[in-house]
Amino acid sequence: MNRKLINWGLGIGTPLLLVAAWWAVSQNSTNTFFPPLATILERFQALWLFDHFGSDVLLSLRNLALGYALATVIGVGLGFVTALVPVVRWALDPLIHFFRGIPPVALVPIFISLIGFGIEMRLVSIILAALFPTLIATVDGIRSVDPSLKDVSAVYRLTRTEKLAQVYLPAAGPQIAAGMQVSLQVAFIVMIASEMLGASQGIGAMTLLAQQSFMTSDMWAGILLLGVIGFGANMLFELAKNKVLAWYVGSRRLAKS
Amino acid sequence: MNRNLRQLLVSAGGIAAALALWQFIATGPMAGGPLPPVSATLAELAGLLADGGFWTALADTLVIALAGLAAAAVAGVVLGVLIGSFEPVRYATLAVLEFLKPIPPIVILPLVVLVFGPTTEMSWFLVFFGCVLPIIVQTVAGVHDADPVTLDTARSYGLGRTEILARVTLPSAMPFIGTAMRVSAPAALVITVVAGLLGGGPGLGRSIYQAQAGGDYPTLYAYVVVLGLLGLAFQGASQLAERRLLHWHASYREVLTP
Amino acid sequence: MNTTDTNPALNPAGTTDMTADSTSGNAGGATAPPRLEVTALSKTYGSGANAKCVIEDLTFTVNTGEVVCIVGPSGVGKTTLLKCLAGLQPATSGTAAIDGRTIAGPPPEMALVFQDYSRSLMPWLTVRKNVRLPLRHLHLPTQEMNQRIDTALEAVGLAHAANQYPWQLSGGMQQRVAIARALAYRPEILIMDEPFASVDAQTRFELEDLCLKIREDFGMTILVVTHDIDEAVYLSDRVVVLGSKPARVLDVIGIDLPAPRDQISTRSLPEFAEQRTTVLSMIRKPA
Repeated sequence: MNRKLINWGLGIGTPLLLVAAWWAVSQNSTNTFFPPLATILERFQALWLFDHFGSDVLLSLRNLALGYALATVIGVGLGFVTALVPVVRWALDPLIHFFRGIPPVALVPIFISLIGFGIEMRLVSIILAALFPTLIATVDGIRSVDPSLKDVSAVYRLTRTEKLAQVYLPAAGPQIAAGMQVSLQVAFIVMIASEMLGASQGIGAMTLLAQQSFMTSDMWAGILLLGVIGFGANMLFELAKNKVLAWYVGSRRLAKS
Repeated sequence: MNRNLRQLLVSAGGIAAALALWQFIATGPMAGGPLPPVSATLAELAGLLADGGFWTALADTLVIALAGLAAAAVAGVVLGVLIGSFEPVRYATLAVLEFLKPIPPIVILPLVVLVFGPTTEMSWFLVFFGCVLPIIVQTVAGVHDADPVTLDTARSYGLGRTEILARVTLPSAMPFIGTAMRVSAPAALVITVVAGLLGGGPGLGRSIYQAQAGGDYPTLYAYVVVLGLLGLAFQGASQLAERRLLHWHASYREVLTP
Repeated sequence: MNTTDTNPALNPAGTTDMTADSTSGNAGGATAPPRLEVTALSKTYGSGANAKCVIEDLTFTVNTGEVVCIVGPSGVGKTTLLKCLAGLQPATSGTAAIDGRTIAGPPPEMALVFQDYSRSLMPWLTVRKNVRLPLRHLHLPTQEMNQRIDTALEAVGLAHAANQYPWQLSGGMQQRVAIARALAYRPEILIMDEPFASVDAQTRFELEDLCLKIREDFGMTILVVTHDIDEAVYLSDRVVVLGSKPARVLDVIGIDLPAPRDQISTRSLPEFAEQRTTVLSMIRKPA
């Protein structure tokens, strides 16, 4: 009991201590690369909370959310078709595997050349790059649905819609969720990359611009914001996943103990 | 047999159709635009293979990715074992690791470029940073997962700390480390490309950036094709290595018996 | 698929009628037409040199309201037979028919309880929702649907576990969920594939009695595949004995034991031992 308390204390205390140490050590820093934390936070507040919230922060987040949502919808839908229609699977399989090999960020220059530097380019880049992890996981998930469950569906004469929505989708759910989590990471990375590669708006663009003009505190503020977004997006996903897949989490925990 | 043949034909047809569509768009509706025809891209690809600069870029990419990965593996496993072996340390680092883990290295790219400049070291550090965290987290999980009964047995036989580490803890953490390496190897390649593309580090990423900035579209596409193949090779190799090295482990035996 | 044009939702009145004239528990009379008729059924996997004949020339019938067990050495192709009967796999030659209609797809009046309960239940649905799943497309009035589910869960003694997930239950309880799912579907014919193979002995007895009770209460025709001879004798009106490699019918043995059957008194009857020996010697006899 006592030991547990100490461990909890350590868990919460260490990050606070680290931040405090950063604050203290950097307080009188004159190093251009590592400005005082106080200054960074000041710039953070000035930049993101007021001036550029609507123009840049919201813009980036909207691209991320919209692109990611479309990518997962298309990925799951296309995954179902690919997994269940053999001809489609045979035709698309080599292409899907080739595209998954390309580093997602390397596609951004191609989209820039095709569509330019606008918001459409950023959105298309996010959608296409984030599509593949979900697509591949969906195909794998549906292909590995237990044959007994298919037999059960057949014996009880479930309709086509019931089979897809009530059997295949939940059975493949855990794998689809794992793919979607990777897609979220990719969407986030490509959001930053597409902004850094030539856009003038968005958090990524602002951060790189700050770096190029040696406004180190602004750059740090950008890094801090991106870090918080990356962490927050993943945490939201985990929360949603644990809620939707509560049955899976529960059965796994039971199987382990 | 018949089915396999049909499947093969459909697959070949799929690839042919995709290439034909590309060629059609590039020579028809978008002729002269930023989309080069397949023929031009393939010709450029062949040209690249005869070009020394391409091979240097490829070698740079591979060296940075592999060196960063190797350093991350060593540091990650050592740190992971240390953190996993002492409960207070594990708790103290938990929140920090959990916070940092979902943050991709591209986030700190501006800072790293600022400190190192567009150099090999910059790319290398980014790869290291991007790969080391998942390896630490997985190693900690693996060490923590070591069977308590086996540990007690080892202790009751009077094995020393280092012996227990080498004979019980590390082997039982191996599958976790293996998984981390399988995920990290393709990631190392991706990060190297990102570092080149956005930070100007040497390698294929920088080549792509230069091709795009210079409007040299056939070269841009040829490089992306090369990266696609390289990415597949990295994924394939890391999966193969994991299976080869860990075939003895229970989690692999389970897979074999359905 | 053309066998299934008739109404899948059964006529409850019709079912009770069947109970009335068939629960006397004896071998099917010659007057009633066979409910399920298997004629010269064969199943071969693969073709050419790799062809493997699993079932050869199988013929037997099951009458309305009967409990028939199929016994045979393990690995004899019993599961393959059931898949053919359930319309999950086409037969290579010969036919299986319900009321004279050849089975070409899952028949609407049939339900199947699978051997592997842990894989035949949906782990993402609660017990109640598992039972409800096959009923949704029957478009029953809500009240009737709920009543069917409640009745089925009560019949298997799981009313208290309705809101739990299958993986929270023991193996025997999971198999009872699978049985409840079949019951709520109100099939006229219930087929069970080694339904009690992987539960402990005590649960096994309970489930066997549950099976007999279902026949009494719902008037179903029940076909059970098992490798346990005692179980076959205890449950059946008739036992179909299969020989192995490829599976074919060695004999059909009428079981003449008084009803109602009871785990202790029935099993201690001298007739029980006799019937058991008959079946066993049939199986052990070199082909």
